[in-house]
Amino acid sequence: MDKTPSVVGARVKRIDAEDKVAGRTLYPSDKTLPGMLWVEVVRAAHPHARIREIDVKPALEVPGVVRVLTHRDVPGENAFGIQIQDMPVLCFDRVRYLGDAVALVGAETRQAAREGARRVRVDYEVLEPITDPEAAMAPGAVALHPKGNIMHQGHFEKGDLAAGFACCAVIVENDYSVPMIDHAFLETEAGISYYDEHGRLTVDACGQYIYRDQTQIARALGLPLHQVRVMAPIVGGAFGGKDEVTVQIHLALMTFHTQRPCRMVATREESIVSHTKRHPVKMSYKTGADRQGNLLCVQARFVADTGAYASLGGPVLNVMMEHAAGPYRVPNVKVDGYAVYTNNGFSGAFRGFGCTQACVGLESQMDLMAAALRLDPLKFREQNVLHKGDLAGLGYPMTCEVGAGRTVRSAQRGALYRSRRRRAPAKPATPSLKPYLRRGVGVATQMQGLGLGIGIPDYAEVGLDLRPDGTLQLRAGTNEIGQGAYTAYLQILSGRLGVPLSRLSMVGADTALTPDSGTTTASRTIFAVGKAVELAAEKLERVLGERAERAFGWAPGPARLQGDQLAGSGGRRPLRELLGDEELSVQAVFHVPVAEREMGDGLPHRFYSFGTHVAEVEVNTLTGEIAVTAVEAHLDGGKVISRTGFEGQSEGGIAQGIGYALMEEVRLEGGRFLTTNFHTYVIPTSLDVPEDLRTVPVEVREPEGPYGAKGISETAMVGVTPAVLNAIADALGVRFFRLPVRAEDVLAALQEKKT
Amino acid sequence: MSLTIHFTLNGSPVVFEVEPEERLVHTLRERAGLTGTKLGCGIGECGACSVLLDGKLVPSCLVLSAQADGHEVTTIEGLSKNGLSDLQRAFVEEGAVQCGYCTPGMVMAGEAVLRRYQRPTTRQIRAGIAGNLCRCTGYAKIVSAIRKTARRRAHRRSGR
Ligand code: FES
Ligand code: FES
Repeated sequence: MDKTPSVVGARVKRIDAEDKVAGRTLYPSDKTLPGMLWVEVVRAAHPHARIREIDVKPALEVPGVVRVLTHRDVPGENAFGIQIQDMPVLCFDRVRYLGDAVALVGAETRQAAREGARRVRVDYEVLEPITDPEAAMAPGAVALHPKGNIMHQGHFEKGDLAAGFACCAVIVENDYSVPMIDHAFLETEAGISYYDEHGRLTVDACGQYIYRDQTQIARALGLPLHQVRVMAPIVGGAFGGKDEVTVQIHLALMTFHTQRPCRMVATREESIVSHTKRHPVKMSYKTGADRQGNLLCVQARFVADTGAYASLGGPVLNVMMEHAAGPYRVPNVKVDGYAVYTNNGFSGAFRGFGCTQACVGLESQMDLMAAALRLDPLKFREQNVLHKGDLAGLGYPMTCEVGAGRTVRSAQRGALYRSRRRRAPAKPATPSLKPYLRRGVGVATQMQGLGLGIGIPDYAEVGLDLRPDGTLQLRAGTNEIGQGAYTAYLQILSGRLGVPLSRLSMVGADTALTPDSGTTTASRTIFAVGKAVELAAEKLERVLGERAERAFGWAPGPARLQGDQLAGSGGRRPLRELLGDEELSVQAVFHVPVAEREMGDGLPHRFYSFGTHVAEVEVNTLTGEIAVTAVEAHLDGGKVISRTGFEGQSEGGIAQGIGYALMEEVRLEGGRFLTTNFHTYVIPTSLDVPEDLRTVPVEVREPEGPYGAKGISETAMVGVTPAVLNAIADALGVRFFRLPVRAEDVLAALQEKKT
Repeated sequence: MSLTIHFTLNGSPVVFEVEPEERLVHTLRERAGLTGTKLGCGIGECGACSVLLDGKLVPSCLVLSAQADGHEVTTIEGLSKNGLSDLQRAFVEEGAVQCGYCTPGMVMAGEAVLRRYQRPTTRQIRAGIAGNLCRCTGYAKIVSAIRKTARRRAHRRSGR
């Protein structure tokens, strides 16, 4: 049987690219319906306040305003949240951050809806905002939620830390601080709602998991699941920021009450204020190694500011703790973590999911230890990396394929690392500045759990429809948020069936049409959904074989598709002879294997991807400016399915990693946002990302994945930030412990070094 | 009070009744139904709303619709009127499109670079799209697509 995967691993054109580049694709923010209402949200006027009274009458007097909804109009449970439902759909007694929704205004025009929203009068008793997580944790602090302000905590210990430190030749201890950052997806939260032809309350809006959104909507509206339909095939970027519900319940609620189609599109200001963020974290690391360079101890403490509500703050903290010791063999580990409620926005899922923060601390420590031991930073990492069968940081065995060491060796061979001893930039952009320019090269190695981890159901189901003409349609419930997974699914399908891509099509993310393929998060789709696609292809050939056996008397065994023909033991027959005019549909489900022992929610993972990043910076000691001039990414995502998609994830991850290191920070004062749009929340432009980006696939096949593939989207970003930090330290001999590192920080540090 | 404005939109004359403070992005998306032009920030910082006004790249969220009166506006739909343009095809070939929300604006910015320079340097390309944010791609493949199109156009010109 020929299973040559001709399109697997190739550079193929994305199936959605032509429509997108022509401006034809309809995104959630582009959709309109006849007779629709605009919906605007009245958000909290204070980061922390008690609601005394809400008066909607003035809003109703605005011409064009049709309906104003408050908490009294929430027919089901007035609460949502992926993990813990601690967030009101519409606030009733208290507001806990500026994004909290207090009322909804539905109007004939957007202007009228906005005017109505301005006129809703909310009488508040203003309370002191809680903005410092350490203070929020202290006994006696005002509690933001019934169980107190510590939303989640975790404590892990392995080995004997005191004995371990006693054997260390070098011990490094530092505090690190990483800021809150915004996903800055280019399309703000948006969508429409209506009753479909079967009377289902339908929400077509941005999101990352239609089936969970369906549950959250149905619960808030008190409707049975089957009366709610959710779709979101194409989304203008997400990165975790659309994982939690945003507009969906509000849209559904207005359509439910008015029986009219509705539309919402958030402004950028509203988007930044209201959706989840990357947790700001204060961390302390104490690590040690013996004279031979064996890492003996990692002690870490994390205090993550989870903001007003839980969302995925618990699992994020768990992943942070899981990855506290990184991809290294460490006999003695102690990790303590806290996720704390405050009135600072609210935090949740974001590319890297906790791993991002931990990696900044640990990989800085790794460089400091290597320097103290006079060891080459990559050699030091190579000496300590995990191998298959080793015990990971928290003490469970690594049972997946582990490519960490191979990514380190790949980086060692790379041109960038081999040039690291060259101290000056080879060709400075401005030659007269040459005496002020310092060049540095830094590295970072990391691992990233794949999928949702043990204890959180992680499965993917897909549907596959074969038409009598031999064309096929794949149905998968995950979203196309930019990552290119739909194209990759079809590459896998094409490879497994030997059917060219031109005969395959894809239907995505609609609870009425597509099965539950799980979340579009956690670097999981290519791995979990891709595997389900493989299983569906196998099942289809099996079913075809069985039917051919019955219909044509062929010998048992799978049958293959060849154009509009079926091929098997009995030769070839037109498919139509078997199917008539009917379609043949199969479904397949893949349950992601889990670790042997559960240590906490989603903790640990069974599969990981690995990466080593090398970054080069040029620091101008006169102005303090830092330019990242080259980045090499050595990534183990298993077998690469789509070369273009793989590089795309890597290059986009590099840009985000640079943003996190050098410029991004959501700044708050007393719970109020100082950064509200792209003029103050600055993300990398084409001038901030180096020309010289190289992505080297390190293909350590994971036998459980489709063709041996694993996801890469988070690993592609996480290591970049510490590699840049280490490069800056290499360039200046000065290390930064707080992100982002801006020009003024560089100048201040250089000043301090002199004095 | 509303205004009547006349302009040429993607080669055809159009008339709209607009509000005095209305922005061109709104007229294009909500009145003309041309949703290829996107809205990412509304303050001229992201470039998602980029269009060509008399051939010059502008953020349509900062242009009053009234300012388009009597002028010529080209949107992404206009570029692809007779099938995808060479630049659009290059975006597809190079893998420069991910979520695609920045893409129409990027293509317009790329087109403006190509009209301004016959043989743009990488630096000129990067500077030319620096007003357009992309959160997905890291820009590398976008730059390659523009560079590739520049080469193809130069080749075509010299072939004539
Ligand atoms: S929407 Fe016009 S520049 Fe962002
Ligand atoms: S492709 Fe998503 S913002 Fe550019």
